[in-house]
Amino acid sequence: MAAVTYLEAIRQGLWEEMERDPRVFVIGEDVGVYGGAFKVTEGFLQRFGTERVVDTPISEMAIASAAYGASLTGLRPVGEFQFMDFISSAHSQIVQILAKSNYRWGAPAPLVLRGPSGGGVSGGPFHSQNPEMFYVHTPGLKVICPATARDAKGLIKSAIRDNNPVLFFEHKYLYRRVKEELPAEDYTVEIGKARIHREGKHLSVITYAAMVYVAEEAAHILEKEGIELEILDLRTLLPLDNAAIAATVEKTNRVIILHEDTKTGGIAGEIAAIINEEAFDALDAPIARITSLDAPVPFSPPLEKAFLPKVEDVVREARRLVAY
Amino acid sequence: MASRKTEVNDAGASSASANGTPKGSNGSIPPLQQQPPTKNPHGIPDYRLEQLPFHIEGEWKDGNYHYKVIGDTTAPAPPLRPSKYLTREQSIDIYRLMVTNRKMEDSLERMYKQSKVIGGLYLSLGQEATSVASAYALGKDDWLGPMIRNQGSMIVKGYRPRDTMMQYMAKGGSPTRGRESGSHYGDAKKLNVIAPISHLGDSISVCAGVALGARIQGKNIACLAYIGDGGQSTGPTYEGFNFAAVQRLGLVLIVEHNLWAYSTPVELQFACKDLADRSLGYGVPGVIVDGTDANQVYDATHEAVERAYRGEGASFIEAKLMRMKGHAMHDAASYVPSEVKEYWKRRDPILRMEHYLIERGWLTAEEAKKIHVEVDALMEEERRFAEASPMPDPADAGTDVYFDNATEIPLKYGEVKVQNGNASAKLAESSATTHYK
Repeated sequence: MAAVTYLEAIRQGLWEEMERDPRVFVIGEDVGVYGGAFKVTEGFLQRFGTERVVDTPISEMAIASAAYGASLTGLRPVGEFQFMDFISSAHSQIVQILAKSNYRWGAPAPLVLRGPSGGGVSGGPFHSQNPEMFYVHTPGLKVICPATARDAKGLIKSAIRDNNPVLFFEHKYLYRRVKEELPAEDYTVEIGKARIHREGKHLSVITYAAMVYVAEEAAHILEKEGIELEILDLRTLLPLDNAAIAATVEKTNRVIILHEDTKTGGIAGEIAAIINEEAFDALDAPIARITSLDAPVPFSPPLEKAFLPKVEDVVREARRLVAY
Repeated sequence: MASRKTEVNDAGASSASANGTPKGSNGSIPPLQQQPPTKNPHGIPDYRLEQLPFHIEGEWKDGNYHYKVIGDTTAPAPPLRPSKYLTREQSIDIYRLMVTNRKMEDSLERMYKQSKVIGGLYLSLGQEATSVASAYALGKDDWLGPMIRNQGSMIVKGYRPRDTMMQYMAKGGSPTRGRESGSHYGDAKKLNVIAPISHLGDSISVCAGVALGARIQGKNIACLAYIGDGGQSTGPTYEGFNFAAVQRLGLVLIVEHNLWAYSTPVELQFACKDLADRSLGYGVPGVIVDGTDANQVYDATHEAVERAYRGEGASFIEAKLMRMKGHAMHDAASYVPSEVKEYWKRRDPILRMEHYLIERGWLTAEEAKKIHVEVDALMEEERRFAEASPMPDPADAGTDVYFDNATEIPLKYGEVKVQNGNASAKLAESSATTHYK
């Protein structure tokens, strides 16, 4: 069986859910005839028709709240943002209306809002961001950031089947760069469960999305020095898998938290607090954070490279913590 | 179709006779002359029987800035425009519902003064005709997207005064179990009421989404949304209504041009005279009505709802009226010139409706009085029930943030019915011509 890219995995997941469940429909800008800015919904209009593949005016707030309104009638909309940077144009609707709907007035909102996030492609300050933490800070939402094709497909399906508003952050750097063989049968990946990407015993790197591969490269370098990195891929940021975080810390006693999001208010701080609460006694060294700079995402390649976390950052911090 | 389409809780405020009014039984409508509407300078039909003969300007006086009136405020209220659709029974029912709306708020005001209300109290004095008569035009499959002052609309849709009362008292028995304040409550399962959203204009796009969801299930419904003259200044108002217009969804937007956004007069809110002019920009039909004339409000909404049922798309109704209280109870609205208050006091929607019904021979003064007595008695019962409701259990504070995944969420209109698509099309690998690589 041929390997499937991260992008195709998402397309398959979405297509199969629309085949399986007529309540699922997609709504977004250019999702119809054009097939979406990144071609995730290419061919969907021909298969599912104009009523289940809805092209909208340029209005992220209309995408989010029309999806929400349709979900109130029992449908399961999947809204697309061309870039997750533009989720901010629907921020009010997401955090005020969708997230609070079940709590405020007992109206569940089974919908997904998805789109590409992340840097490494010279997208500049408006097309490269990792805005997930605004939403991790919002009770009522679920936030997913897959790193592998298998997880991307399994998690988009779980997101669509979930009875709550789910934000699905795809990483555009991974779209066509990672691929793997996928199970032939229908499968899902449970929301809220982290995954050991690589087993190791000396130090844990807790990370997600594209940074999983930065950690992996570092692991290859470090294993030659006899340092075995364990990589925990969070997959879901809300709800976080606290048990998996505590388990890896108890196993290796040393932790790096690595993310592409900027440092201040990034999830590394939250995870450090969870380790403090649940596995403090297991620590043999201080917790290290490796993140992007506290700055907007710059455009020019040398600037963006300097902005993003690098393999050598992980290698350096790993050596420091192991020697601590 | 001129009957009240909404099923009403029997224990609610409506008279029993109107509930049973069969469709088309409007033989009791006397053949009153329907004056055609005038047209505003941009060709928008204007059903009002008078124009506002004054406006507001700010001025400095004795070192203070205040609003003064330019023009004449002494005109008496015109009669109501006879309805093309409402029967005698329906007209009386609307009158009774407006009285219920008013008396519920009077009761709440007393409770507020007795410190029984938690937080702010938002009243709709002077706006009852717009709330009640518009919601009265909805059928039971239709949705309501009210704003906080449309408490009368929610009664028409089937809520009881006790629900709003318990909400304002933050009771555990309130529709939101004490989670939400005042009229911020709704019901997506049975009554089809979207809980009001404080972020102004946002409920418009939600209503559009509801209509979209119904259409995917093969049903053209009407979804009635409201926005104030202040709220319509927001971007979401434009984005939501434009989406509905483009998608030809059955959204009926009532812009309550009530002259004051908290303390800001319309003169500081927009530069046009009639907000209905904006319907031209959206490419949908727009009309202007007198928001204190229940007949005009009903007829315009009824026609917009029928248009929605025919799948012809969205409609824009500007209702001109005035908010007769402050933004909330703490606000005495001292910024409103007193002669403006007097002008609109003469346009009390309930008194005007009462005069209309009596002059038309549809109601006697005694019958009107009887309705007031009955509604007073109802309100006393509602108040007692609401006050007796317990406060919520603190253990409930962190529950139901998420909905259970094991519970099936039913389709509102039965099944998905889409017109097109090609079931034999297969997923092919996507092309690689993308934005960023």
